[in-house]
Formats: sequence, structure tokens, C-alpha cells
Amino acid sequence: MTGTALPIAQSPLAEARAGLDRCVHCGFCLPACPTYLALDDENDSPRGRLLLMGALLEGSISPDDATIGRHFDQCLGCRGCESACPSGVPYGELIEATRATLATHRPLPFVARFILSVFAELWLLRPVLAAARVVRASGLARLVARVLPARMGMPFAMLASTARRVAPGYDPATVRLASTDDTHHMDVHRGRAALLTGCVMESLFTDVNRATERTLAVNGWQLCEAGDQVCCGALHAHAGDPETARTLARTNIAAFEQSGADVIVMNSAGCGAMCREYGHLLADDPAWAARANRFGAKVRDVSELLAEAGPRQPASVPGRATTTVTYDAPCHLQHAQRITAPPLRVLAALPSTTLVPLTDSDQCCGSAGIFNLVRPEVAERVLDPKLARIAESGATVVATGNPGCLMQIGGGLVLAGSSVVARHPVELLDMAYARAARAD
Amino acid sequence: MTALATTLERIVGPTHVLARPASLLAYRSDALPGHRVMPALAVMPGTREELIAVMRALAEDGTPYVARGAGTGLSGGALADGVVLLALHRLRRIIQIDPVARTATVEPGVVNATLTRAVAAHRLHYAPDPSSQTACTIGGNIAENAGGPHCLKYGVTLNHVIRATVVLPSGEVVQLDRGDASASASASSAGYDLLGAFVGSEGCFGVVADVTVRLTPDPERVITLLADFMSVRSAANATSRIIAAGIVPAALELMDQATIEAVESSVYAAGYPRDAAAVLLAEVDGAAAGLDDDVRAIEALCLESGARSVRIAHDPAERTRLWLGRKKAFGAMGRVAPHLVVQDAVVPRTALADLLEDIQAIGVKHRLRVCNVFHAGDGNLHPNIPYDADDADESARVHKAMKEIMTRCIDAGGTITGEHGVGLDKLPYMEALFTPDTLDAMCSLRSVFDPTRRSNPGKVVPVRSCREWHATPAARV
Amino acid sequence: MSTPTVFAPTTGAEVVDFVREAHDATRSLRIVGAGRWSDAGHAVRASDTLSLARLRGIVAYRPDDLTITVEAGTTLADIDAATRERRQWCPLLAWGDDEGTVGATLATATTGPFAETLGRPRDLALGIEAVDGTARMIVAGGRVVKNVAGFDLTRAIVGAWGTLAVITRAHLRLRPRPQVDETLAVTPREGFPTLPVAPLASFALTPDLAARLGVADARWLVRLGGNATAVAAMRATLASSGHVHALDPDAWSVLRRVCAPPSPAMHWRWDTLSRQLRDRFDPLHILNPGLLGEAR
Repeated sequence: MTGTALPIAQSPLAEARAGLDRCVHCGFCLPACPTYLALDDENDSPRGRLLLMGALLEGSISPDDATIGRHFDQCLGCRGCESACPSGVPYGELIEATRATLATHRPLPFVARFILSVFAELWLLRPVLAAARVVRASGLARLVARVLPARMGMPFAMLASTARRVAPGYDPATVRLASTDDTHHMDVHRGRAALLTGCVMESLFTDVNRATERTLAVNGWQLCEAGDQVCCGALHAHAGDPETARTLARTNIAAFEQSGADVIVMNSAGCGAMCREYGHLLADDPAWAARANRFGAKVRDVSELLAEAGPRQPASVPGRATTTVTYDAPCHLQHAQRITAPPLRVLAALPSTTLVPLTDSDQCCGSAGIFNLVRPEVAERVLDPKLARIAESGATVVATGNPGCLMQIGGGLVLAGSSVVARHPVELLDMAYARAARAD
Repeated sequence: MTALATTLERIVGPTHVLARPASLLAYRSDALPGHRVMPALAVMPGTREELIAVMRALAEDGTPYVARGAGTGLSGGALADGVVLLALHRLRRIIQIDPVARTATVEPGVVNATLTRAVAAHRLHYAPDPSSQTACTIGGNIAENAGGPHCLKYGVTLNHVIRATVVLPSGEVVQLDRGDASASASASSAGYDLLGAFVGSEGCFGVVADVTVRLTPDPERVITLLADFMSVRSAANATSRIIAAGIVPAALELMDQATIEAVESSVYAAGYPRDAAAVLLAEVDGAAAGLDDDVRAIEALCLESGARSVRIAHDPAERTRLWLGRKKAFGAMGRVAPHLVVQDAVVPRTALADLLEDIQAIGVKHRLRVCNVFHAGDGNLHPNIPYDADDADESARVHKAMKEIMTRCIDAGGTITGEHGVGLDKLPYMEALFTPDTLDAMCSLRSVFDPTRRSNPGKVVPVRSCREWHATPAARV
Repeated sequence: MSTPTVFAPTTGAEVVDFVREAHDATRSLRIVGAGRWSDAGHAVRASDTLSLARLRGIVAYRPDDLTITVEAGTTLADIDAATRERRQWCPLLAWGDDEGTVGATLATATTGPFAETLGRPRDLALGIEAVDGTARMIVAGGRVVKNVAGFDLTRAIVGAWGTLAVITRAHLRLRPRPQVDETLAVTPREGFPTLPVAPLASFALTPDLAARLGVADARWLVRLGGNATAVAAMRATLASSGHVHALDPDAWSVLRRVCAPPSPAMHWRWDTLSRQLRDRFDPLHILNPGLLGEAR
């Protein structure tokens, strides 16, 4: 990872230069950038970072400059700036190219290196996440989170927030739907879908993965398995280690080809954004480029598939109190994949639910992959306004479709002693289906 | 600078003073493309008290400074060449909203669109809407007397500012208003229009600490139309006819083919017809009753002037899409070439059609692509030229073309800037536009507020135009 | 000391010469237009009089641009006559009669009943030509409707009561006359009803004023403007809230004349900036000295 220092002219950043030239420094990205809003320094804004990238290429700053490196490290990679950019600057690509360039000059922070190496190796990752589950199950996580000072307690609070009470088991075929029309069409087959189970999702959000499978089944999708899949590589690509990301991508491409799926389902926005970009990641690998593009074209977020099918609306349970739900858009869904309406359609299908808007729902929560573990102080400043907006919304449930966001917001809520919980939209739909099935 | 940096750090804290050259790189430019200069240091006060203390420290030190909001200005007004950059974006408190009096008092770093969002619940908005409104600050708007599409009906920034607390370059804090007579039972009180002189002074007269602005009630109804034309001339003629008919549209914007192409290729694709020579984006608003009559009249005038079709936005989503395309047009031109000259000039509305043809001819002569997107109702032109600054020959041609366009606008009875300001960019044209006596009088006006010329030095009026300044030693820079 | 002179130049250049002579001889000037504003409650202590009455005439009327350029001594009636045929008007409809000059209306920033909707003098002057106390001929602003080139001398000089510079010429913004223009005397049963947009003007009448307009019981004088549908809707709203009586638009001329404020005892704010402004443009205080009650 800390290879030989490349001359800047041959760096990944130099290759991405055309994207940099698109910036007319209009500044429209500033209000879209969570680190600019939190840190108040143009160096921590997209425009500022693009200027710094230009300065790196010009040679007016050194890639070894630690202060400059920090501004790149502090980027959350939320890509909110891309949605605001009228010039179409491919900021996500540029920040990854910059990090890859800088990684040849200076090592990543120790915490980042450690986490990334764990995620790259299944034999390491499984026991680590298993241990985390034990800590969570013992109730220690919530306890430790309360005892430790906020910043140190956050990882434990995040872990505690992933706990779920009871996994609802039901037979998808028995779910009663709100409209009889819909019931008649229960047997429509939409196609074969394989779920990228994901490392964090499968370990800490096991219930969300099962909920994803059940809700897709209710909505006419046939599930199939891709057994040999691994981590999607997003954390590595974002942190400046594209080589490991490529290795992981090749393994996944092969695994999903084997599965024979028509679509590859994502319930983690971060993984979805990454998987769609496999074509770009492997563009220079002639043996894999075409396969990577085919893979990318099959990637769908679970909310897209559900929305495509309606989603089928579960029958309401009489006498059930109304829940107030709000939605926070994960950056990697909204900005990186431009998916905005489908999650709201999923939530709109919930019976006995009032959906309330969340101010600044398009702003990052500060999770950003492993950012909240590596840069807790910045993540905290980005999270604070998010928690305040959630409190103002009056909702008791905040829905968001990304494990990082679920843990960041969920952990923040635990630490704040809030009764509000963070849930994946499919979890909520799944619970409603479960209730509709049980009531039969 | 070291002693000063230490003093400033004591006021605002070490994280809000940037003195290392590497940390100042991101502050080398504003939104004027192609200009990069290094500030000596940057200081970012976070409260009004810090701002006043910083201004006093700078005054004591005799150091020149440049105030900067969000750095979205298009004339280079916030470029600090070797002097202190005073960044005001941290001063972003909305101090008070009075929905009954329809006013808001805000700090200078409040973003224009944030203010509108904050008062939306009262069915009010802040009317001046420069295209950069999602990012630009109210303080910057005051410095530039910013306009925007809806200024056609609602007026520019000056028409919406009631009073301001200003920190003068000396560090003295003063209250400015328009000096309008306010009558009481026995006598009336009035004064010079110091606020009128201050608004649009491009940061040369001092720094706003807070400002009270007028809020405008949301119209009962808004209708947006898009007319598409096979020639720019017929679109320009339609503009004149609409205004002459006595209709006051809320906005009347013209985009030519090159602009349509850039917008339609961007994330803000608005559905403008790509094969049109020009589109006219018109909006009427106000009371619901009678608005349809205005829409029908505009439609008829466009069709009579040669419009191919007139489309009316059915819903708010379509309206937003039509407007986003217009508001993000400058940025969208970033796709066409690596660099962009964004121009701003005003001509009498009746000269628009001829002038647009002249601009096209100037572009052809210098082998350049000129994209026109502008406030047609005001005659406020924005000819933009995408180019490659690394190509010396092309850069030279761009400069020649811009000079010819500006000269043409002045000859047509127009002016060199309608809303972007003079800054650095338009300095060379000031002597063509104003007489030596007038420029000298502008220097006198500046001296009232900033006798030592430390506030945004070297901007707006060429130094050589100021007779008095030759008689006294220049400020230390 | 020579005897007082009354000088009435016919060109801006003559004004420059006269002010320069006055400046060089430190003779002070009382500046007058039609002579309707004698003072602002304070006596002008001037050696000579500079009258702009003969600097009168329309320099250029550009109906399609909705702008007009006039000499300072041009009366509001002159502009009304020139623009009426093209169904346009100059919104400088100040309190007083139409024999007042443009120069005086701008210099005193006198508003009228339409200021709220049509604009105030400080905003209606697109540009001016003016001669300051050091005899500089200032050509400020321009004749286009949007202009931010250079520091705004127009704003400084308009409303300065001639104490910074003598206005010699002005570029004004015109407006199209509304398609339908109705004047109504309104007697609402309760308060004045809320209209979806502001009328061109609404003026609360005293019983005395109402009597002078021949509508003894009316409480408001209202002017509606816009297209036929819009005006009809506003009229209907007013009618549903009380009694409405149509009047000739001349009622506004009567109102403007009757309500013309007698020169009030003006309290001028002489703060540091204001004193410096005066000193920079008229260092010898030869223009309208004493008018604004300033200390010498």
C-alpha cells in the first residue's frame, strides 16, 4: 500500500487531470459539503481540494505535506458536491486518485490501515465481526458507550445501535396485502436476484439482509446465492488503495457470474455505489473490463427493485398506533447513484405510518465508510446538526439505507440517550409484512 | 506579518488564521476564472466582536485587506494579492426575522438561499436571486449590489436593503441607512444616502457586520414559459415587445444555442430544445386573477415575433427544472472547455438584437465560441467564452474579442457591468466609460469611507484616476 | 464683496464655469429650480443664486427602452406631455404640482403617493450629470436600467439637497401606463381589505381631504393598475368589503397639490461620514450653505 513514491506526472491524479480541468471554481459545491460546513475552511471544501489537487500537479505543494494531506483525508467522500456541480467535475474519482497518489508517499493513518487490512481478509474479518456480535449481545456495548467519554464511546454506541429485538419470521406467501388486486398478482415473477450480503451487513445487520430477501420475495423476485462473494472494496478504493479494491472486485464478478442472477441487489448504498463503478475500476484490465461493465449494469439498490414492484402494500393491522418516520438520504444513494424517490416509495407503502420530511436530509451524517472511526472529531461535528434535525422532525424512526449511516446516526442517537431509532427502509417494510402475515 | 498573525490568532483562535503558503492555496481565487493570487494570510472571524477586533488590529497595523464571502464573485473582487484576506463566511447568524414588518437582520456570511429558506414558512422570500444564490453570501451581494433574473420586476440588492451596521476600515462601527426622510409630528429627519453609496462599493468602503433586508411576500401564483426561436434576433425582439406592451414579467431570460447545448449536456438538463437558435425563459407572478391574460399576451407576442413554440410549465417540478438549467448555465459551460470568461455588460434593450449579432461576428472573427445567457428584460448581457488558457494564441484572441465586445457595448450607450462589479476584471474599461472628473469624484467618495485606501486596494477605480492620491503617499501594501 | 447675482445658465458647461468662478472667489450659491423649495427649514446664507430654470428640455426620449434624458430644469409636466402619447409615464409623481422640476425633485428626494410601488427618486434616477463644489462635472451612472460600474455617485448626490453637487441633467426610468387604470374612493365597512398584490397607491383620507375630493364619506383613495381581469378582481374585492366609488384620476393631482408638505424643519443627520462627504465634494461649502443646518 505504501509503495514507491511515483513522480506526480505519472500518478493516478495526473491521469484524472481532465476531470480537474472541468472545475470553473464557481463555488456552488460549498454549501453541499459537510466538512466545509463543519470546519469553516475552504481547504476542507470540494473547490478548495480541487485547487489543492491542481497545486499538487503543478508541484507548488509537496505530496508529503501533512497539513494538505489532512484536508484530503478529511473528505467524507459523500459526493454531495457532485450533485451540486454544474460542470460535472467527477469529484469522487478525483479524490480517490488523489488518495491513491498520496498513499505512495505517506502511509495511511494506522487505524485506517488496520481496518482496511481486516476487511480485505475474510479469515480476519469474520472473527472480528463475530467478536463484535458477542460484545453487542452481552449488552456490554451499550454499557461501555455510556461510560466512556463521547468520542471513545461512539464505536460502542454504533455497535449497540445495530442490535435488533426479534427477527420476524414469516412465509412471504401468507402476507396479506392492502389491495386485493395486488394479491392476485402475487405470483408474478420479476426475475432472479442475488444479494451482495456485504461484510458489515451480514455480520452486524444480519436481520436487514434477511428482511431484504423476504421483502423481495413478497414483491415477486426469486432469490439466488452468490456464495464466494467478498467485501466490495469500497473502503479500500476510497482510502487510496485501488489495487486491493481491484482484487476484491474480480472475486465478486466471478462469484455473481456463477450465481446466474439477472440483477445484483444492494442494501448498502456504499457497496452499491462501488459495485456500479467496477467498470471504471477495472477499465485498464483487458481481461476483466467487459465483465466488470456487465456486472455494473446489473447492480440495483433494493429500494429500486421494490419500488419497481410498487412495492406491494401490506394490509394494515387494525388498532395499531401510527408511527412517525423520517428519511435520511445516504450520500452514496443520493449523490453517487442518484437514487432519491425509490426509498420514499418503500416508506410510503407502510401502513399506519406518517412520513415527515427531514430538513437537510441530503447532507452527509458523517459516517462515510470508516471515516467516523479514523476522524471521529470531524465526524462528530458533521453528525451534530443531523441529530438536531432528526429531533426537530418529531419522528420516532429515521430510515436510511446504508450500514455506515445506520451506525453513525444510530450510535449518535444512543449516545444522546434518544428514543429515536435508525432503521433500514426494508426492515420497516419487512416488519409490516410480518404483521400482515401473522394477523392471518 | 508574523506579529500581525499572532495578534489575529489571539482574536479568532489559531485554527482561524491561515499563514502557511500551502494553506492559502485554496484562497487564491474567487469565481473569476483564470486569476490566481496569493493572500499574505487569511483570517476568519466567527463573531461580530471578533470582526470588529480584527478590523481594529488591521487598522492599527495599517495593513490592507480584502473581504470575502463565499468567493463566488465573477469580477475578481475578492482576490487578495499579497494582502490580508478577511473571510466572513463564518459570520452566518440570522439575527432576527420579523414576519410582520417583513424584514430580516442577518450577518454578512449568511447564504442568500439560506435566508429565503429560513423565511419560507412565513410565505416570504428574499427577492434578489443571483444565479449563485445557493452559495453566495448576503455580504457579498451587498458589496456587488447583486442582481439576478427576478430583479427585472423586484429590483436589485440596493432596493431590498434597509440599514446596515458597517465596520469602517478605521475600525469605527457606523449605522448606515438610505437617508429617507422619516417624518415625526414636529420635524422630519433625513440624511445623505450613505447606504446607497455603500451598497455596490465592492468591499472598498468597509465591511458589513449586520444588515437588515426587506423580505418579499411569495406571489399568489407563478407561471413560467419557455419560447423557442429560430434566430436570436427574433428572441431579442420579442423581449422588447413584451416590455413595451406594459407587462412587467418577473423575469425574462435569453439563452442562445451554444448555451442550450452546454446546459442540456449537464446534470441540469432542462429539456430546452437543442435545435433552437435561442430560447426565452419568461416568468410572470403576482395575483392569480389576470395572470393568465399576461401569459396569453406574452405567448402571442413571442409567436408574432417568430417563436416556433411556447411551452408553459405545468407543475412546480417542471418550473424548477427550467430555472435550474438557466441558473447553472455558467458552470455547465465548464464542460465545453477547460476555462471560461464570464462577461457582464448592459445595453439599452432596443440595442440587444444588433449587439448580439455584433458579438457573434466578433466571435467568428477571432475563431471563438461565444455562449450568450442573460437577463434580456434588463438588457444585461452575459457573453461567455469557453477556451483553453494554456493555449497562448487562443487566450490572446479571447482578450481581443472581450475588449471589442465591451467597446461595442459602451458605444451602444451601455455600461461595462450590470451586476458582477468592476473588481479587477473590468478595471481597464473604466477610463473608457467615465470621464477623468467622474473617476476622480469616485475616489473622493471612497475617501469618505476609506481615507487610507486599505480596503480592497487596487479595485474598481484605476489608481491613476485619483488626483488626490498622487498628492499623498500610497498606503503600505 | 460684489453684489448678489442671479445666474441662469442654459448648458451644463456654463454651470461648470459659474461654479468654478464661485469656488475660486469663495462666493456661495443658492441653487433653485422652479423656486418651489425655498429652504429646508433653515435659511440659506448665499452670495449668489444659481437658477436651473432655463436648463430645461428633453434631451432624448427613448420610448422602446423606457428611458428619458432631461435637463434638470425640465418640469414634471414637460415629461408627462412628452410620454403620454406612448402610454408611458415618469414615476416621479412627487407631492406638489407638475410645475416642479426634475432637478429639485431628485435633489430633495421628494416622494409622492406612488413611491411604494413605482419607486423613490433615489432609485428612479439611472444616472445624473452634476457639478460639485469643486466644479468637477460628474457624469454618473448611465441610461441603462442596471448598472454597477464604479462607485455610486448618483445615490450620493440624489437627495443631498444640492449640498454636494448641482444636478444638471438626469436619465430617468419610465414605466408603461397600466393597461387599465382606475381610481376609486373606498369606504370599507371594517379595515382596508387585503389585496393579493399592492395597488398602485392607497391613501388614507382625512374627512377634510375627502370633502375636497368631493367624496365626503370616503376613507381611502385607491388607484388600481394592471390588465382588465386583474383590476376587475381587485375592484370586486374592494366592493365586497364596503362602498366603492369611481373617480377621475385627476383626484391624484388634487391630492398631490393639497398634501404638498410645507418645507418642514429638516433635521439633517450630520455624523462623521456625512460631514466628510460634504467636505470632499464641496470643501468650501459654497453650495446651499446653511440649508441643512450644518455648523460651519
